[in-house]
Amino acid sequence: MKSRLLGALAIVVLIAGITGLLRLARVPSDGAGSAPAAAGRTAWGDPDLQGIWTDPYQTPLQRPPQFASKEVFTDQERAALDQQRAAILRRDQRVERGSERDVAGAYNAVFQSVRPTGKRTSLVVDPPDGRLPPLTEDATRRNAAEREFRLALLQPTETCKKGDTACAGGKYGPVSPRRNELPPFYNTGRLNRNDGPEDRSLTERCIGAVLPDFGGYRRIVQSPGAVSIFYDTGQGQGWQRVIPVGSSPHLPSSIRQRFGDSRGRWEGDTLVVDVTNFSPKYSYQAARDKLHLVERFKRLDANTVEYSVTVEDPTTWTRPWTVKQELVKQDEQANRIYYEPRCHEGNYGLPTMLLGTRIEERAFSQGQGPDPATKDTATDFGNEGGVDALTGAGGAIF
Amino acid sequence: MTKTSAIAVLSAVVGAGVAMAFSLVLAQTPGGTTAQPAPRPARTADGKPNFSGIWQANNEAYWDLQAHEARPGMVTQPGVYPQEYARVPAAPVLALGAAAGVPGSIGVVEGDGQIPYKPEAAALKQENGANWVDRDPELKCYLPGIPRAMYMPYPFQIVQSTNKIQMAYTFANAARTIHLDKVEGPPDDTYMGHSVGRWEGDTLVVDVTSFNGRNWFDRAGNFHSAALKLTERFTPITPDAIHYEATIEDPETFTRAWKISMPIYRRLEANAQLVEYPCIEFAEEFLYGHVRKQPLVKRWESETMIVDITRKVPPGDKFYDWYRR
Repeated sequence: MKSRLLGALAIVVLIAGITGLLRLARVPSDGAGSAPAAAGRTAWGDPDLQGIWTDPYQTPLQRPPQFASKEVFTDQERAALDQQRAAILRRDQRVERGSERDVAGAYNAVFQSVRPTGKRTSLVVDPPDGRLPPLTEDATRRNAAEREFRLALLQPTETCKKGDTACAGGKYGPVSPRRNELPPFYNTGRLNRNDGPEDRSLTERCIGAVLPDFGGYRRIVQSPGAVSIFYDTGQGQGWQRVIPVGSSPHLPSSIRQRFGDSRGRWEGDTLVVDVTNFSPKYSYQAARDKLHLVERFKRLDANTVEYSVTVEDPTTWTRPWTVKQELVKQDEQANRIYYEPRCHEGNYGLPTMLLGTRIEERAFSQGQGPDPATKDTATDFGNEGGVDALTGAGGAIF
Repeated sequence: MTKTSAIAVLSAVVGAGVAMAFSLVLAQTPGGTTAQPAPRPARTADGKPNFSGIWQANNEAYWDLQAHEARPGMVTQPGVYPQEYARVPAAPVLALGAAAGVPGSIGVVEGDGQIPYKPEAAALKQENGANWVDRDPELKCYLPGIPRAMYMPYPFQIVQSTNKIQMAYTFANAARTIHLDKVEGPPDDTYMGHSVGRWEGDTLVVDVTSFNGRNWFDRAGNFHSAALKLTERFTPITPDAIHYEATIEDPETFTRAWKISMPIYRRLEANAQLVEYPCIEFAEEFLYGHVRKQPLVKRWESETMIVDITRKVPPGDKFYDWYRR
């Protein structure tokens, strides 16, 4: 029973980890709200980007290989894909009743919204094939080192014994001596170990939001010389950003921040934001403190802001790449995005995961239970729970 | 609480104070002189007082809203004499010497300076103060709520537009939107409240409701319930100072409405900006150190002092109790 509860808690924690991608359905009641008739200007003459905005469509970050030569879907293709994805989410499917996976599935059915398939086949618009550019040798080596460490911790679990995809590249075997080592880099993902908070993912620690963010909702408020963006993203992982707009220089390079240091300027009617000074404690894909973003916000019409971001890190990708999204204005009055970023205030999952493991360790040492190292608390929801299958490692979109 | 279990927390609080000192960055021009502040029109394009910019209260309200004399430590214990005035710093902050004290203040509560607690609420306030380290949500890096966020010792930024005013707070990356236009309430109670504002002449009046009742007002244990209704008034004194007042109504906690008021000052440093204070991570050792496999913070040894830490699972922890059955 104890281990059952622990498993259930693990599921809760795991589910909390899917947030960057799958979120509560918050579809606006109508499109426009009270937007100006044309793409307007603020009272002080700046282009007006204000309002609540979201990308209402599901679009994978990278173009799936089967659509390699296709930039946009037809309406028929979109409808067919929507049907396929509904089946992946298994809303109508039950596994063994009362099992952990059954419970996880019910949770998922509530918390995974299904956004309709977007027109474009990928968020990435450059390179033109819609795929991320190749990783540098250095990044490939970093990723391999991290993966190797993760697999070493998974080695003694059922996941590897059964040869689940979560264990791809690894093997089943005894508890690895690497269990007593530090990961090769400051951990940002979910390790199969619960020695302390640092073994769990940033999302489980309620610090999972990253920039760039392609999901969720954002509220933009402007004043002369500043653009505020509140991101309602993930389940309670939201965050607030204020972009100085003008000619002020970046922070000194000694100051590294989770969301970097943003500097905006107007180029014609486009807000261009340069973001540097990221911290090595966080990661966006394989990039850390060398990450450099150039974001562009442009009001296309009353209901649309075009957002694009060029992502650059010469230590990670062999060339910069660019994402483009059309953000759609949401009803201001309905205020449906008002979800406070209060993951941390109710974070029972993290301490309970740690405490549960301490209790299991004690039981094991007294010969009363299995070695907790042989349990998978990182990925063991694969085939039925579907979460890892959908997000892949690192929670990249789609 | 064990005698020493709070030390890590107190260190964190002091660390926060130190970090705060660095939380604004001055941009130097290449010549090495401080750049001139950006122009600050007294009024916005639509004729309202211009509150856009970076602001900070400069008082002791974050320690205690009420008038109080200085205390020798953030946490104290009885000294040689039994009187309250003879208390001495307690173990958690002893190592911080004269930096561990609490500055005195004339207080920010208007009228007789007293907070009109109902009797049972007054008892709870006393209890809160005595268990500050365990109970203050600030130490856990929880969203600070309003009005507390307005006078914490960190800068905050106002982005003032025509229909919305955004307030971004350094502490915990907290934020709120003040809606000047029509808006529906939030779907649930909140830490930061639901702010709806209007202009009365040159005064911005903001009604804040929908609180969840988990916030405190200060580090002295002053608190309110979810029934809190706040009426804030922001009135310009000069382009660089705001007279801020907040009327507090909460019939579950207080016998009548009461009011706090204080000036809030513009940060005039050129290129002043908010710098992240990512306190969720900072509070992890405090919150979760007791359930690590290998406790990290066990003992601190300096040239003149040794402090031993005993971590423990918080009493009443429902998950722990469940496991223990």
